[in-house]
Amino acid sequence: MAAVRGTERTIAWRERRLAERRVPQWLWGWLLLAPALLLVLGLILYPVAYSFWLSLHSKHAYLPVQTFVGLDNYLFFLTQDREGFWRSLWLGTIYAVGSVALQVVVGVAAALVLNESFLGRTFVRGLLLFPYMVPTIVVVILMRWVLNDSYGIVPWLLRSVGVGAPGFFTGEMMMLTLVLISTWTFFPFVLIGVLARLQTIDPDLYAAAEIDGAGAIRRFLHVTLPQIASVLFVLVLLRVMFMFTKFDIIWLLTGGGGIGWFVRTLPVYTFMKTFQELQVGAGARLSVIMFLILTGFAVVYFRLFRERSEEGS
Amino acid sequence: MSGRPGRARGPGFTLWIHGAAALLALLCGFPLLWMLLTSLEPDAEILTGEPLLWPSRLQLDAYARLFSETGFAIYFWNSIKVAGTATLLTILVATLAAYAVTRFRFPGRELVAGTMLFTYMFAPIMIVVPFYIMVRSAGLMNTHTGLVLSYTAFSLPFSMWLLRSFFRSIPLELEEAAMIDGASRPQAVARIIVPLALPGVIAVSIFTFIVAWNDYLFARVLISSDRLKTLPVGMNDLYNATVTDWGMMMAAGVVITIPALVFFVLVQRWLIAGWGAGGVKG
Repeated sequence: MAAVRGTERTIAWRERRLAERRVPQWLWGWLLLAPALLLVLGLILYPVAYSFWLSLHSKHAYLPVQTFVGLDNYLFFLTQDREGFWRSLWLGTIYAVGSVALQVVVGVAAALVLNESFLGRTFVRGLLLFPYMVPTIVVVILMRWVLNDSYGIVPWLLRSVGVGAPGFFTGEMMMLTLVLISTWTFFPFVLIGVLARLQTIDPDLYAAAEIDGAGAIRRFLHVTLPQIASVLFVLVLLRVMFMFTKFDIIWLLTGGGGIGWFVRTLPVYTFMKTFQELQVGAGARLSVIMFLILTGFAVVYFRLFRERSEEGS
Repeated sequence: MSGRPGRARGPGFTLWIHGAAALLALLCGFPLLWMLLTSLEPDAEILTGEPLLWPSRLQLDAYARLFSETGFAIYFWNSIKVAGTATLLTILVATLAAYAVTRFRFPGRELVAGTMLFTYMFAPIMIVVPFYIMVRSAGLMNTHTGLVLSYTAFSLPFSMWLLRSFFRSIPLELEEAAMIDGASRPQAVARIIVPLALPGVIAVSIFTFIVAWNDYLFARVLISSDRLKTLPVGMNDLYNATVTDWGMMMAAGVVITIPALVFFVLVQRWLIAGWGAGGVKG
């Protein structure tokens, strides 16, 4: 009996599959894809294309003024806008390189520590991931409080041990403060990636190195580093791309004016051009330039390091 | 992977590791503990210039001020609404798309998946200028709809990519067996595929929720009315509006951090799995 019912079911299923085939597979596929495709095409790829088009025009944010200027205004940025464009490109590069370097150093060090066994390891691991989960606005306001010159705990501690507080929110210190705060909140990204890789390294490699008499530093350089090279390759690429285009933490920390001048990176400059000076065309040009710089960076980065990191691992 | 065999460690090394771990924990944990303490401290003790390591008494006055005297409760609700809607929409759309590229054969399938990943390259600051013009001409300025759409679009590429890798690992036979037993295809997906891909669905929801919960740029550009502001914009304006009430700002910080923290603690394991599969943006 059971067998007969089973057969009936199979037949019913085949009939249903046949009915389904009246709507061909490719149509089903595209139908289900359609919402995602529409959203991504309409809200990401189209805006990107639109921004290329806008970048060739001079356009005001509110007034219906829009004139074609071609590549002339690109030339303005490249040849004349020393204080604006070139300076923000330079500051943005310092910020990206500085904060990524620190994130990698702290992230790798923390991953090496977490890869050892110690009391409360699970708790500490959770705690170290935490800064990454705190919303940016909270990081910014919290750091303004903790580093506050008059009432903050960190300057107070520095003064009590006789070092003296540097004035974290002054012109000379602003970039360093920004880099330190960014490192605090973004290093867990590197930590996670490296830790995941460390846990898959074959312990025999270390045993062999120890038999050869390698000390901790040589073990790190000759065993650990080659093993994590490929994951570092990806992490550095992603971090540079994210930090080079980072807007919110910088803007929220300083605003555009005042001490903001000392950390006016390319994304901040783009925002100010578009939404304060209301020059949408200029903003679009800067977006396009950022895109081209990042693409160029990715190409050069792959050329330089890809083969090497592949040899290494 | 603690206590590797064959790696003899001296007491000096053990001490060193404990010291390093304690230092890192302090650096990461202390600012957050300080935020909590400041929020519970009596006002008179906050601005002393000589920080008290422990306040004389703990009180909730700053939280009461935050909810009664500012628009914080409205911002909070707006954020929940926008982030929640964007998360649901992303899960729905990304699940359909991931299902399509793993279960149906059609030309252009790989191209679509590749294009999706490519869009991951565009940072919000590169999109916001044209996006602003588009939203304005669509008449969606000052609406939550514009925000929800932008967060959904931003989370989709990663979400779809992640779900695709989960769906791929689920054998087709499971689904067919369910359909042979009389389930329709949507039923089979809901009862077999989604539960099995749950870690992926969870990772996607956290990712989207945090993108939306965190965003300042789009919320700043697209929203002007105070009633519609989300938390990051609302809190920043609160900070800039008056002489800073540090106790209240720290209270706001604690309240904004809690949802992200709860999400995170509940699903840490899956989040880390998601990290491995494609990285989290930020």
